[in-house]
Amino acid sequence: MDISLEYNPGSTAAKIRLDENETITAEGGAMIAMSSNVDIYTTTKSKKGGGGLMSGVKRIFAQESIFFNHFTAKQGSGTIYLGTSLPGDMQILDLTGNKIYVQGGSYVASSEDVHLETVWQGAKNLLSGESLFWVELSGQGKAIINAFGVIYSIDVDGEYIIDTGHIVAYEEGLNFTLSKAGESWLSSILGGEGIVCKFKGKGRIWCQSHSSTSFGQQITPHLKAIKS
Amino acid sequence: MNIEIKGNPAFAYAVIDLEPNEYLVTESGAMATMSSAIDLVAKLNGGFIKGLTRKFFGGESLFINHFINKTSNQQRMTLTQPTPGSLVCYELNGETINLQPTAFVACEPGVNISTKFAGFVSFISGEGLFKISVTGKGKVLFGAFGGIMERQVKGEMIVDTGHLVAYDPQLNLKIQMSGGFISSITSGEGLVTRVEGDGRVWLQTRNLQGFASWINRFF
Repeated sequence: MDISLEYNPGSTAAKIRLDENETITAEGGAMIAMSSNVDIYTTTKSKKGGGGLMSGVKRIFAQESIFFNHFTAKQGSGTIYLGTSLPGDMQILDLTGNKIYVQGGSYVASSEDVHLETVWQGAKNLLSGESLFWVELSGQGKAIINAFGVIYSIDVDGEYIIDTGHIVAYEEGLNFTLSKAGESWLSSILGGEGIVCKFKGKGRIWCQSHSSTSFGQQITPHLKAIKS
Repeated sequence: MNIEIKGNPAFAYAVIDLEPNEYLVTESGAMATMSSAIDLVAKLNGGFIKGLTRKFFGGESLFINHFINKTSNQQRMTLTQPTPGSLVCYELNGETINLQPTAFVACEPGVNISTKFAGFVSFISGEGLFKISVTGKGKVLFGAFGGIMERQVKGEMIVDTGHLVAYDPQLNLKIQMSGGFISSITSGEGLVTRVEGDGRVWLQTRNLQGFASWINRFF
């Protein structure tokens, strides 16, 4: 399998070249185009993931599609292009037995031997502005994630503050708690930063340059109500 | 202080390295990530009554943030704006620039920020009742929805409403119809701003109202 990113960071598409009988699993609705010898098989679970319909229901809470599409090249190699609804960047993640937690809504695709699980990360997510469930990736292989805006990584060793709405993914070895920006709660709230995520530990965080929630709040006053 | 803008033109964000004891002044809510060693102090944007007036009539934030590096090492932070688009880092050397209230992102401590009444012409043209005037010495970061182009005005230039991001203070803004009465209505341009004088303007290649009205067709 060979994955390359095109048109990044503004409107990224992932180009995946599959060898014969190789499979990539993608979130429902991600396919833009593919060779005619690529087969689609739709399930409610990833090939290596546990659960059935219930894990599909959990994925709704993780802002992901219930369904996974498994694309397999038959009779020779094939190519498939994947995209997302939001403009922005994609990132290819390498899994070598480690775990990576992906923000709900940011998962795009993963290779066959990547295990995918929707996990609950505690009630803190009710306040964090992030989704309630996260996608836990483990196993061996590659995964593709997407974001609103540019994706950049920060290597943390100790503590780091990420504003809510800017986390795309983070490695195990890190954990976050809800906290304040700076030393005073008063300044954090008055200064419009409010609650932020304080990461502790050692590992990499992938951030998105923009927050879709902030953009949504900016554009909402200009939108008209739905006609009923 | 080192300021680097990345992600232009579509999704700009600024990476700032603060040296020990340095601080950066930012618009409310602009911080995206930062070292946990950086402290934040929220300050009233001008006086209390003035601040309240601007908040309710100008749609501006009441508070402005100071991000301070109190440690003995360099500390990093990133800033962003709510909309996708470009950021400009402009170094002031004693001169003044006028910014649209939503364009201001951050500045160095040597820069003075004041909010001024921009006049009803500015309000009618969709640029807001107030403008931010920045002066002094130091870098100013401002942003827009879309790309930002800098143009030299000699005499006059016509700018569509909702596209003016920043301009030199000696320029005068006037409102006018884009053409005759009929063509102004039918051309889709309606009212435009006539910028008069000699100086620079910074324009955004998109505007949020335009984007929103395009989305509105699907509701």
